Amino acid sequence: MAQGGHEPSTNIGDKIIAHVANSDVMIHFELFGVDLSITKHVIMLWIAASLIIVVGLYASRRYRKEVRPVPSGFTNAFEFVVDFVRTGIIIPSIGKNHAMKWGPLVMSFFFLILTMNFLGLFPIFSYINHGHGGTTATGNFNMTAALALITFFAIIIAGILEHGFFKHWKNMVPGNVPKAVLIILIPMEIMSMFVRPFALTMRLAANMTAGHIAMLAIFAPIFILHNAYVGVASVAMNVGLTFLEIIVSIVQAYVFTLLSAVFIGQSIHPHH
Amino acid sequence: MENLLNFDTGLMILTWITFLIVLVILGTKAWKPMIKALEDRENFIRESLEEAEAARKEADKVAGEYEAMVAKARQEAQGIVAAGKETAERMKTEILNEAKDKSAGILKQAEVQITAERDKAIAEIRIQIVDISMAAAEKIIVKSLSREDNERLIEDALKDYGQN
Repeated sequence: MAQGGHEPSTNIGDKIIAHVANSDVMIHFELFGVDLSITKHVIMLWIAASLIIVVGLYASRRYRKEVRPVPSGFTNAFEFVVDFVRTGIIIPSIGKNHAMKWGPLVMSFFFLILTMNFLGLFPIFSYINHGHGGTTATGNFNMTAALALITFFAIIIAGILEHGFFKHWKNMVPGNVPKAVLIILIPMEIMSMFVRPFALTMRLAANMTAGHIAMLAIFAPIFILHNAYVGVASVAMNVGLTFLEIIVSIVQAYVFTLLSAVFIGQSIHPHH
Repeated sequence: MENLLNFDTGLMILTWITFLIVLVILGTKAWKPMIKALEDRENFIRESLEEAEAARKEADKVAGEYEAMVAKARQEAQGIVAAGKETAERMKTEILNEAKDKSAGILKQAEVQITAERDKAIAEIRIQIVDISMAAAEKIIVKSLSREDNERLIEDALKDYGQN
């Protein structure tokens, strides 16, 4: 449990926050006045992206070469997950006809978020940047906000591509309602347009951070009470919590992807 | 330390760039070929099942038709055999009847002929007997009887002869 930040703190709460927060700037980098510094979360993002690109390219090599590939082994396992996203998220939410157009985006969401969620479960990242917290990249609100903004624009682009620019905005409110209702409905629909990505941002980041905070809080009594026996209970509880975190990682990747797909699908198939 | 909720534009931009790279590389090289392959496989399986179903129906239909044909052929064969039998029976009867008629005719003709021959023979014999008798009687009693008496006597004698 190394200390984070520049000034050592004895407050356990500060320590916990330091562990789940992004690291300080590791490599400073600025482009056109925008700070693009490399931090721990950027490195984790890149590791996840590289991993998923390498694994994805390896697992899909037969699909690029063969007309009707029959997968086996690892390819088969990978295809199982791809087919799960396809039949469980893309087809019911967006539809079969749009699977080729919006499938890649949904697949990329799922696999990238899932990989980042899982990476956060490996405690090795504590050792990057002088032991600053073993955090999760998707626990960073900026990261999830960036992803949710992609969803936000995807919803608009999907609607415009399907119905045209003006029809898309008209589709947002039901057609056959009294004019008086529209006064309430239009601001509500505009609000929901922004609330949706905001909810996506908060849900994923909060869930990924909460697990780490809970784990650290369970470890905290060891250092507060300076008692080795408390450690036995803490470790036992955290082993259980790690299993829970595995489930949460999968569920949150699924939820983010599913909701993004559902919103895109709603934009393509309005309910009136 | 409070950077948990810090606004970090740089991270957002780097996330977008990274996501775009993942989307472009995997979208073209992995997701699209895989989605296409899965769709193709689904279609292939559905089509195969439908084809198998259609083939099974066709086979059932053909088998039904074949059975109907066999049944019809059997019925026709039975009809032909029955007709043949009937024809043969009819022909047999006809031939038999004809033969019977013919034999009856022949018998009748023979009878008539025999009767005629017999009558003719009897008539001839009668004439000859008359002549012989006449000659004999002439020789025996030339003068005792007149020709009329002779003839009457002979006629009587012949009557008796005819009756015997």
